[in-house]
Parts: sequence; C-alpha cells; structure tokens
Amino acid sequence: MAVLQLRDVSKSYGQGSRRVDAVRDVSLDVDHGEVVALEGPSGSGKTTLLALAGALLSPTSGEIFLDGDNVTRYGARARTRYRRDRVGFVFQGSNMVPFLTARENLLVVGSFGGSDRSAIRHRADELLEQLDLGAVRDQIATRLSGGERQRVAIARALMRDPSLLLVDEPTASLNFELGTRVVDALLSEVHRRQKACIMVTHDDRMARLSDRIVEIRDGRILSERPLS
Amino acid sequence: MLALIEIRRRKLQFGFVTGVVGLIAYLIIMVTGLGLGLNEAAGSALLDLNGDYLAYASNSNLSVIRSKLTERDVAEVQSLSGAEEATPIGYVAAVIEFAPEESDSAAIIGVVPGSFAEPEIVEGSTIGGPNDILVDRAWVRVAGTRVGDELALPVGFATRQFTVVGIVDQGYFFFQSTMYVDISSWKELNFPGDVGQRPAASLVLLSGNDLEGMRGEGWRIVTKQDGFNNIEGVQGQQSTVDALRYMGLLIGAMVIGVFFHVITLQKVALLGILKAIGAPGSYLVFQGLLQVLIICVIGSLLAVGLALLTEATVLSSDTIPINFTNSAMTTTSISVVIAGTIGSLLAARQVASVDPIIAMQQQ
Ligand SMILES: Nc1ncnc2c1ncn2[C@@H]1O[C@H](COP(=O)(O)OP(=O)(O)O)[C@@H](O)[C@H]1O
Ligand SMILES: [Mg+2]
Repeated sequence: MAVLQLRDVSKSYGQGSRRVDAVRDVSLDVDHGEVVALEGPSGSGKTTLLALAGALLSPTSGEIFLDGDNVTRYGARARTRYRRDRVGFVFQGSNMVPFLTARENLLVVGSFGGSDRSAIRHRADELLEQLDLGAVRDQIATRLSGGERQRVAIARALMRDPSLLLVDEPTASLNFELGTRVVDALLSEVHRRQKACIMVTHDDRMARLSDRIVEIRDGRILSERPLS
Repeated sequence: MLALIEIRRRKLQFGFVTGVVGLIAYLIIMVTGLGLGLNEAAGSALLDLNGDYLAYASNSNLSVIRSKLTERDVAEVQSLSGAEEATPIGYVAAVIEFAPEESDSAAIIGVVPGSFAEPEIVEGSTIGGPNDILVDRAWVRVAGTRVGDELALPVGFATRQFTVVGIVDQGYFFFQSTMYVDISSWKELNFPGDVGQRPAASLVLLSGNDLEGMRGEGWRIVTKQDGFNNIEGVQGQQSTVDALRYMGLLIGAMVIGVFFHVITLQKVALLGILKAIGAPGSYLVFQGLLQVLIICVIGSLLAVGLALLTEATVLSSDTIPINFTNSAMTTTSISVVIAGTIGSLLAARQVASVDPIIAMQQQ
C-alpha cells in the first residue's frame, strides 16, 4: 500500500463568482522511498496540493490517507499532532526561527510535546552530521547561507521521523549548483529512510533528479512520467 | 525553550521594555510611599491612640479643630454603658520658637495624665505636673530638643514655660509633630480668656464595643478610622494617590501591551511556520506569557531595588514624607504582573489566531 493516497481530492477557495478551483479531482499515490516532483506553472495548484496532504487545509471533496489512516476525518488537535509527528515540511520561503542556532532549530520540534528529550538531542546531532552541517551547528540561523538553511530545514523535517515529506520549491533561492546539492541531500535521506516525498518545483533540472514527475495544470494532473 | 532563548538573544529589546516597566513600577512604589507618608503626616498620632472610638461635638462635622465638648458632654460619653474606658483629649496648634529666629508649629495634645490616652514614653518620664510636656521624635529631629529643655508655648500674647520630661514616638497630627501636656494646661493654652467658658475637651477617646453611631445632644461617636478619614485633606490626598497608582498600572499595561503587540506582528510568519510544523497554539501563547511574566518580575525587582536605594540615600534625611513599606512593594509588584498580563492579552489572542497555512503562502 502506498504511504500517501489522494482520492479524487478537490479544493476550491471562495464562493460564487469569486470561486477558484485550485485543485480538481486529483488522485495520486506516493510510495515508500519515492520522491515525486510536482511540476507546473505558477498558480496551477501545487502549494494547495501540498497544504492538503499536510492537513494545513481540508479538501472540499475527496479523501486523503496516510499509512492507511483517513486524514480528512481528523479534528483540529489530531491535525496539529499529525503535522508534528507524521509529516515533515520544508517551506519555500524562510523556514528557520531566526534567533536560534542551526541545532536549536532542530531541537525546537522537541518542545512541542510528545517526545523524549535525549532522543531528540541524539537525533538532532545525527541529522546535522548526515546533512553535512556539523561545522555550522551552533551558528545563528540568520548567519547560515541559503544552502545551509535549506539543509537545516530538511533535517528539521526529518526530526520526528515522519512518513511523509512535503517540500515546496526548496531551491527557489539557490543557484543551480547549491540547489542540486540540497536536492541530492533530500533524495538520499528519503531513499535511505524510505519516506514518501512530494517536492514542488518549477525547475525541470531539479525535477529530473526525482523518481517520478507529476505535471499539474489548472489544478488537474496533466501527465506522470517515471524516471530512472 | 523559545521564550527564554529569545529574551537572551534579543537583550536590547527585552532589556529596554523591562527597564521601562521597572521605572513605572518604581514610580508606583514612590507614589504609594508618598501616600502612606502623607497619611502618616496627616494623623498617625490620631491612629496610634489606644482607643477604638472618638466622640466629636455634634456640630463639628467631624473636624478635630472645630470640635468642642462641654463638661456635660464628656460626662455623658463617659457614663455610656458600652464604654469600657473614656478619656477627654484636647488639640490645639502652637508655633514654638526652639532657637532664636527659628520656630516650627506643633500639635499640642492635652491628655489626662495616667489615662490610656497618654502615649508610651521612649525616653524620660511621663507627665507629672501642669508644666511638663512630652515631645515627639519628629520634633526632636527638627529642633534638637532634649529631655530637660524648656519650651515656651504661646498663651494669648504671652508665653508659658514647659519642661520637656519625655520623648514619645507618635508621629504627626495635621502635618505637625505632636506634643503632649496635661489637659488642664491645654485648656489654658487653647482658651486663655474667660475661665468659665472653657470647653472641657476637643474629643473623647473611648474603648469598648458597639459604640459607633451613638449620639447625644452635643456629641456623636465614630470609629477612630472614620475620625482619621475625616481629617482635613486626608480623603483628597488618598484619592489623588490612588488615581496616580491606577494611572501608573494602566500605563504599564499599555507599554507591555504595545510591546508584545509589535513583536507579535513581527513574528506572525514565524508563528505560522511553528504552528505548521506542529506547535500547539497553547504552547506558543504560553511562551509569550512566560516572557511577559519574566519582564514584569525583573521589572518589579528593579523597581524594589531602586526604591530601597532611594530610601537609603535621598530619603534618609527624613524631611520627605515618603514611607516605603514591604506591603507597598509587594502589592505593587503583584499589580504590575497582573497589569502586564492583562496588557498582553491582545497579543495572546493574535498568537492564538495565526493560521498555519501562511507558512506555505509566503514566497
Ligand atoms: N487563500 C486563497 N484564496 C483564494 N485563492 C487562492 C488562495 N490560495 C491560492 N489561491 C488560488 O488558487 C490557485 C492555486 O494556487 P497555488 O496552490 O498557490 O498554486 P501554485 O503553488 O502552483 O503557484 C491560484 O489561482 C491561486 O490564486
Ligand atoms: Mg506555490
């Protein structure tokens, strides 16, 4: 069974004449150890789709399952816990708590409850090593370079050992070389840890590094092409 | 974790607002102390009297200055069944020269020697005769008078010599330091003229039960506290001081409110990200309140420190009627914490209402 299953998911904003159908009847499965690149022009519904999978939005219709659990049935508290424990986010813009160090930015997810402190510390140190951030672990977030920041964001997303990673334009602010490094790091972590991952990008060079490209236009899936 | 680290890493901002809160708290402590000091100057000697009730002349409007009781009034009050003890007291203000060209006014209180109205002696002896006088420490500090000294009190256009036999610690009455004489001497000081027309007392001091509100033809009884509250100026003074304190607390609440409102606005995007990655709203609100609490507590400690410093330096000269008490400092500190918390409620609501979806919407 796929880790993430979207079943005929639609989302519209607003009502009446101002209604926008941002996502229309999307069905999509993402498997263990699979990175799906979501590609499409601006306004095609990529961010909305991620927000739906991450329970930041509720679909207007359709159902979303993670590890077989129907996420669409969750109430507010269960959704907060779902985002904390079962999903890892890497956002497009700023991700960091600016006044915390790289390491503290990882530890902060441990203060939201439901975790063991020493386990959190251990995991933070492990992830900092694996993502090649050992040298900057005690740097304040604002002093990190763009590439370092995105890798810290990936490390933070992995802190609670989630089943699903949702990554929105992780290379938007990076040059090609740095972007490739960040995407490589993401891919190797996803493959090693057997996570499911959706990565939004409109850079085709980045998309081609993934396992499968899903093209989206006007809220609908246009095509899917497996790579490798 | 977030709250404390943020304060540590943004010392300038948090230090500044803590300093402002501290100064406001200091101001409130000063004003409270001034209120207490002024009250004490207005009539600590009256409040310190041993009894529970005071009988005033009916037509005096509870003014000690205007209250004049006759022998009959005093006798009536003394024979009341609820009165365990009752003794007449006289009051008159006098300007006394304590050195050439140097004089100050004093509140001369006439008491019956040996009665329970006679104050406790801290040095020397009690009133033994019609020319003996007890002077208060407050007078001693100003005039340097010692036991054995002579004081000339005005009687009409002449003066009468009194010998200081003891020092007392009763404080002030009507913003004047107190002196105590035999009530028979007080009659002469107060009414140097016609002997037959002299009132017997200004007030009668009583101890007993359920005497409040009793009245006769020429007298009425109120509690000692009521008597104090009716001293000219006390009430106005009290409400001014209270208004200043509430104003201070209001300003404190607003400073904290605005500060947290602004830093919350600055952090909306960050709060969205934290909520998106699973921080419960209650956790974030709690972190904010923790910061408010830390600012208020450190601010209050700062204020208490400043107040103690002021007391030890500026106020040690004793001419400024400011009186710091532990309870004023504690009450102020607690009030500042409460005012700060109330002031930050708006920010708390802002924090609670941030929608985590904004984490995905910022480019
Ligand atoms: N909160 C919103 N209210 C109304 N319309 C929205 C909102 N968010 C997104 N949209 C609209 O939905 C469509 C899809 O947006 P989005 O998911 O952000 O696309 P993408 O990430 O591919 O650029 C766009 O037409 C956008 O204008
Ligand atoms: Mg987008």
